[in-house]
Amino acid sequence: MKDFEYGDEQIGEKELRFAIPSIVIGVGVLSLPRVIAQETNGVDGWVSILLGGGLAMFMTWIVATLAARFPKTTFVDYASLIVSKPIAIILTLLISIQFLLFTSYEVRSIASVSKLYLFDRTPIEFIALSFFLVVIYGVSGSRAGLFRLNLLFLPIILFIALVVSIFTLGWFEMNNLAPFFQTSFDGYRSATKFSFLSFLGFGILLFYVALVEQPKAVPKRTAVAMILPVFTYLLIYVACIGVFADSAAGNMIYPTVELAKEVEIPGEFFERFESIFFVIWIMAIFNTTALSFDVTVLAIRSVLKKMSKLAIIFTLSPIVYLVAMYPQNFKDISLLGKFITYYSVVFTVAVPILLLIIAKLRGVKGDV
Amino acid sequence: MLRSRMKKGKGSTRSNEEDFSVNLTKQLDDNLKNLNKMLDNPSDLVIRELTIGSANHRCAIVFIDGLIDKKVVDGKILKNLQTQLQNKTLPSSDAAILDEVQREIISVSHVEQGNTLDDVSNSILSGGTAFYLDGINKVLIMNTMGWETRSIQEPITESLIRGPREGFVENIGTNMVLIRRYIRDSNLRFTTYKVGRRSKKALVLAYVDGIVHPDIVKELKRRLESIDMDDAPESGYIEQWIEDSFLSPFPQIFHTERPDKVSAALLQGKAAILLDGTPFVLTAPSTLGNSFQSPEDYYERWFVGTLIRMLRYGAAFIAMFLPALYIALVSYQPGMIPSKLAFSIAATREGVPFPSVVEAISMGLTMELLREAGVRLPKTIGQTIGIVGGLVIGDAAVQAGIVSPIMVIVVALTAIASFALPSYSIAISFRMIRFGFMIAASVLGLYGVILLYIVLNIHIVNLKSIGVPYTTPFAPSFVKDWLDLVVRAPLTMLTERPKYTKPNDSKPMDKGEKKQ
Repeated sequence: MKDFEYGDEQIGEKELRFAIPSIVIGVGVLSLPRVIAQETNGVDGWVSILLGGGLAMFMTWIVATLAARFPKTTFVDYASLIVSKPIAIILTLLISIQFLLFTSYEVRSIASVSKLYLFDRTPIEFIALSFFLVVIYGVSGSRAGLFRLNLLFLPIILFIALVVSIFTLGWFEMNNLAPFFQTSFDGYRSATKFSFLSFLGFGILLFYVALVEQPKAVPKRTAVAMILPVFTYLLIYVACIGVFADSAAGNMIYPTVELAKEVEIPGEFFERFESIFFVIWIMAIFNTTALSFDVTVLAIRSVLKKMSKLAIIFTLSPIVYLVAMYPQNFKDISLLGKFITYYSVVFTVAVPILLLIIAKLRGVKGDV
Repeated sequence: MLRSRMKKGKGSTRSNEEDFSVNLTKQLDDNLKNLNKMLDNPSDLVIRELTIGSANHRCAIVFIDGLIDKKVVDGKILKNLQTQLQNKTLPSSDAAILDEVQREIISVSHVEQGNTLDDVSNSILSGGTAFYLDGINKVLIMNTMGWETRSIQEPITESLIRGPREGFVENIGTNMVLIRRYIRDSNLRFTTYKVGRRSKKALVLAYVDGIVHPDIVKELKRRLESIDMDDAPESGYIEQWIEDSFLSPFPQIFHTERPDKVSAALLQGKAAILLDGTPFVLTAPSTLGNSFQSPEDYYERWFVGTLIRMLRYGAAFIAMFLPALYIALVSYQPGMIPSKLAFSIAATREGVPFPSVVEAISMGLTMELLREAGVRLPKTIGQTIGIVGGLVIGDAAVQAGIVSPIMVIVVALTAIASFALPSYSIAISFRMIRFGFMIAASVLGLYGVILLYIVLNIHIVNLKSIGVPYTTPFAPSFVKDWLDLVVRAPLTMLTERPKYTKPNDSKPMDKGEKKQ
């Protein structure tokens, strides 16, 4: 039967509101408490998470405002209006490389964490490949379907985060939170930087806002949607510090998973809750990976209009997989992560701000 | 054999068309001869010739024995013709005689005139009676249908504790009446189609105008008109022809035997498809959430309805995941099982020669085998199968050390859970997918289970039923519809029709009454 288009295939601002937390919550939160704990004393990191989150909300607003200025126009088209076509094409390709690398990073991270907590003998290549095949299948489907997946998975993800924070309350010690406000200014600054970097992902709005029919309300709504991951991170961070204290948390590779280890479900039906937690968290990582791969495809397709979506997916997939398999050890992976983060700061923070300023100065605007 | 029904040879359906004229002639004898030739002198074709009026005008009534109601043909047609026109002087023109017969003599409500041989053959093959008059190339076609039918009984496949006991029957007329008895609304529409090149069965698309979204009706009509097969013996043929994706393990159009379910669906802005010859009525569009709803949820008080519905979601989870989780935990993550339980599982698995996945799949297949055998056998023996299979084989397998007792518990629990789902066809899908999860669990443990779960979700978010996403109202989410999804909110709160079918008239029905 031919497909029939009266069903809800439109992507609205509601879908984007769910996409923001979906892309942000991923592997980052598994290690975030460590990074923050290394820089700050006691539970002081909450200030940095709030500051970083606030900054991320602001950037979400900036990016969405830029994209919403040109309703139903793809990034390439509106960037061409602002800064000539060749530069726009180069920018698009550079940003798509960022999302491509990010996809690889997520695939590799999930394989590494799985190997650490779920299997010890299965080769990492196979773990990564099986996950990545699922991502490819997801991206090959309709884009509206992908957003629906966000809607389906997000409540489960938030629920499991809540379970982990609540059921570890038994181990929570107020003493671990002290000392209060003993962190140096530099500590706050660098923790804020790390927390902000863990909220990257709003770059997807550069491309997705073009799909929305009426993007007027998008900047405000998506910025507000950022509160959800900020709150989740804060919850997990405080729980980690409360349970482990900052010194221990700073020495764990994935403190969030370790936190899940401490969960005790009444009734003793399951032990080793961290396996369940991580298995559910795979859904979150899937959302992140699929969205970022989808944006890669969308961005490249906006430049190479003649190539079909599937052709692009199948061309990019081997590259993503090879990049994901390239790092040899944990250090390499963190290095890749670091590289991607700074790369993203240039292209999804600096570039949108510049584009918005130039657009304002030159008075370029899309037709409403 | 079944496939031959779908054969589309255009020539073969009308192979002997050239042998006789399609239009009727004025001679009675020629007409009768042509009819006989077309049907090849069947033994059950009854041609009763008689004369009417004082001028002994020749005429004949024709029908097929067994398809007609004898009382009507004998008492209302033949008797009237013979007694009332005995010595009457008839009008001179033949057309006037035919008119008079139609107007004054025949006491049958459905009478119309026809003038082709096809009209005659189509009608008498579906239980009509034709009245031929010599000297005119027209006939009267009377609806005298009447054959043995099953009376209305309680639906066998969907029994309820509380609720109406009526079920649909094979006769489409009766089924339409059953729906009309539930919805006495002038906007209830029945659009009739004929399906099957040879069977020419009646198919009715039912909907309530003003509630249903017009695009749904338009799309359904387009798909129904595209049907081209020889025969549609059951509504399953229609379902498979018009469904959105034949690659999906999920049924996208649900079927039911219950008129109350169909009328509820119609009032929610769905459409129903009735086919002559089957008690199963299709309702579309259907979504995943619908498969967890049973009419009883609404007949019982809302606490009961809500709890039972949650129980069903739990049952669906068990039916799909339990064996897979068992396999994953036992073979990959034994550390996750509480140590006491782990010891007892290990103790019972002592001596079992197979890995848990082989154990689970073989027991699962045995379970399906027992179910299939129980369905095919007569009811009385079917119970024996249950006892022999469930007790004897299960117990003996454990005694023989082929499977562990825990595995028997897991498989039995899975089977019971899958039978607790109100929709039989979705339960089959779940049981099918269960095997996929078992294999995924045996390859990658919990990781495999979650990956397959994500794949399944990707599949259902891309799936549609007549253009409506299968996952509505979860996603795309319509928060108000959630009141009747996992929970069943009190009826006084369920005042609006579901949003996902985009009903034209979403106004509350029950609240309207309250305000007056």
